[in-house]
Amino acid sequence: MFRVPLTRGLPSVKVVHSSLRATATQAPQKIDVYIDDKKVMVEPGTTVLQAAALAGVEIPRFCYHERLSVAGNCRMCLVEVEKSPKPVAACAMPVMKGWRIKTNSDMTRKAREGVMEFLLVNHPLDCPICDQGGECDLQDQSMAFGSDRSRFTDIDFTGKRAVEDKDIGPLIKTIMTRCIHCTRCIRFASEVAGIDDLGTTGRGSDMQVGTYVEKMFLSELSGNIIDLCPVGALTSKPYAFTARPWETRKTESIDVHDAIGSNIVLSTRSGEVLRVLPRVNDEVNEEWLSDKARFSYDGLKRQRLITPMIKEPKTGELIPVEWEDALVIAGMKIKEAGRSVAGIAGGLVDAEALIALKDLLNSLGSEAVCTEHTYPMEGCGTDLRSNYLLNNRIAGVEEADLALLVGTNPRFEAPLFNSRIRKAFIHNELNVAVIGPPVNLTYDYEHLGDSPNVLHELLYGSHPFTSTLMAAKHPMIVVGASQLERTDGASLLAQLQQLATTLMLRGNIDHNWKVLNILHSIASQVAALDLGYKAGVSEIRNAPPKVLFMLGADEGAITKEDLPDHTFIIYQGHHGDAGAAMADVILPGAAYTEKQATYVNTEGRSQQTLAALTPPGMAREDWKIIRALSEIIGNKLRYDNLNQIRVRLEEVSPNLTRYGYAEEANFTAQASELAKNVKGNTSSDPFDVKLKRLEDFFMTDSISRASSIMAKCVQAAKKHRENKYFGSQNE
Amino acid sequence: MDKFIGLDKLARFFAIIKQNGGITGSLFKLFRQDDLKVGTLVGEDKYGNKYYENKMYFYGRSRWVEYADHYFLDYDGSQVPAEWFGWLHYKTDYLPHQDPGRPKYNWMSDHKENMSGTSRQYVPYSTTPPKIHSWVPPKAK
Repeated sequence: MFRVPLTRGLPSVKVVHSSLRATATQAPQKIDVYIDDKKVMVEPGTTVLQAAALAGVEIPRFCYHERLSVAGNCRMCLVEVEKSPKPVAACAMPVMKGWRIKTNSDMTRKAREGVMEFLLVNHPLDCPICDQGGECDLQDQSMAFGSDRSRFTDIDFTGKRAVEDKDIGPLIKTIMTRCIHCTRCIRFASEVAGIDDLGTTGRGSDMQVGTYVEKMFLSELSGNIIDLCPVGALTSKPYAFTARPWETRKTESIDVHDAIGSNIVLSTRSGEVLRVLPRVNDEVNEEWLSDKARFSYDGLKRQRLITPMIKEPKTGELIPVEWEDALVIAGMKIKEAGRSVAGIAGGLVDAEALIALKDLLNSLGSEAVCTEHTYPMEGCGTDLRSNYLLNNRIAGVEEADLALLVGTNPRFEAPLFNSRIRKAFIHNELNVAVIGPPVNLTYDYEHLGDSPNVLHELLYGSHPFTSTLMAAKHPMIVVGASQLERTDGASLLAQLQQLATTLMLRGNIDHNWKVLNILHSIASQVAALDLGYKAGVSEIRNAPPKVLFMLGADEGAITKEDLPDHTFIIYQGHHGDAGAAMADVILPGAAYTEKQATYVNTEGRSQQTLAALTPPGMAREDWKIIRALSEIIGNKLRYDNLNQIRVRLEEVSPNLTRYGYAEEANFTAQASELAKNVKGNTSSDPFDVKLKRLEDFFMTDSISRASSIMAKCVQAAKKHRENKYFGSQNE
Repeated sequence: MDKFIGLDKLARFFAIIKQNGGITGSLFKLFRQDDLKVGTLVGEDKYGNKYYENKMYFYGRSRWVEYADHYFLDYDGSQVPAEWFGWLHYKTDYLPHQDPGRPKYNWMSDHKENMSGTSRQYVPYSTTPPKIHSWVPPKAK
């Protein structure tokens, strides 16, 4: 009946690398408790609710949430404990040895019925027009545990409590009358999101959840309070009144708006994505989702390329044509160009399309297949995977005791990684230090300055922070991939590798622990580097090809000005953006919701999206287009279906088809050894990050740029800044 | 006697051939209408369709229309105007120009045939917004 699976209540759900648990402390003695006369052995400190979950009994709850602190204010989880005069709140009460807990006794049932009656006294009966209908905890639990008849007669006298709705931004719709004061949203905001804006005023039946002052609740994670709300008080504004949960089709997929690869569920109906919800994956996104991933789905319906186009030679305008015409013209031009063909892959491209393009261009004799974003190719370059991955994994932050963030703003580059850091900061006393611009990361950190010279000082021990760094048992250096795009990126990386090696050689670090981590912000980058793409477009800029194949490249790494007039540009992608505007031929591809495709996140975990929809109009899956083009050129690629292209992927890089696993990347020592060969000096230009404020976060790729919801968010964030109550913590 | 030895059939055959314009004319009509009939021309509408009656044929086949030549093979029932429809379908025995009760006003509109399947067919426009908004390429300068 509940949407939360039973196992989630288990106290053992915690991601740990077992090899890292090298403690000698003895496991604490387990104690026995009896749930409905069934004996369970639990660890001391386990709550009644968790013990019951171990026994397979689910106790109803509203305020309790396993990823938030315990509030114990809804009283729905009251259960009878033998020899206790009163029922106890299961979520907050630790079990004692030999307790006999009755989860289905008369007293328990009566307590639940009473609580339910009180909740319903002030809850409107507007389920038929409520967006939470069908997935409402209150609805479900009143069916299961509530009374079968109403004793409520006050409607004719004082009536039900009514609370004014709040405007907390363009994403969250509030119907505060429905609020049952579970305070999950408040706890999420202050514990996970780090925005202490929400709170309660008044008490008893006058209690209200709100922002105290008139301001919006804007955060990069704000959408999660919609999922957390057990009733329909907080619902999604863009999804309002569009569908019921039982009439939508759910497809499990992967998010591509950042390099975290959050697991998502796409709700679709009648050929549209209606909403995006997070899927639980403790190793990646836990159960949260960033606002960009959750709300930019309307961008999938706007600015789409739905038909192939060619540029009319006379007028210079793009006109829609049939597939055959576009492919024949593109093929003809590629044939004419001979070896002078180059490819650029953009940020949202899947591994299948990447390998198809690379195979095609290589078969023509061209080696110029590049990614849009630069990565230093000196030293071992991208030959060793440990050189460009978040080696400690996302969940690894929870074991770290010190994180040094170099030139990155994880809050906006990878919001869920940032929430992990914050979680470790709160629960594991992780110390954070930052080299880079002093941005608000929602937790306190030591700011070491924004100059690359700090790295040098840390390396040679002249910086006061060195001692802290050296003393750390599990230090983590997280580098923003954007810093390595600088001209001195290679020497920066070499320095960081040297620093990491120095830390490793201190000897107090477990040999399985990796120190250096690269945080990418582009979904396709790791897969592209795994497949052997060259990072950066300098090669194309230096020797402009006759034909340039842009595979979803929209970030303007190469513009028309970089190329001579005779360069023929083929653009393949799903959105009309910078790339399509400069193209001579446009081949419409599929967005991530429309294809079964492989993406690799920043920790090297390959995951696959599933097709929730068919590509709109004449658009097709990307690798199939390239495969069709190869046949027209006469260099037919060897794969005809998804399995065959995945076999090819596996040939090139076996980790790409091991879905769900993050392949261990080794050879860190060799990488840093090779890095010593890197010549060149680090410039002392300060580190800078692109995404500094909330308004920078929302529109970063072709999908989110086409989204009107994201545009509204940007407007709201700017407006929010002008609010007189906008405080330093919102910065 | 004629009837007995079937000469009347022969005579009718020649009458039909004659009324339909000789051998070539008859063959042409046979090609166009798959049928040859003889009857009295009772009227013609403003579009050139000719209406015939011959009580010799049984009820249901005794009134017919020969569509105007310019329709050639593209004739169909909707080309019969409303005033002739009733007579042709035995709703009335009055011919349109003899019918005393038939209203005639200036505002009565002309007959329009069914245009379905042609380029001039009626196509209702969609009132729902498109689900996918396609990219419109920028105009070249």
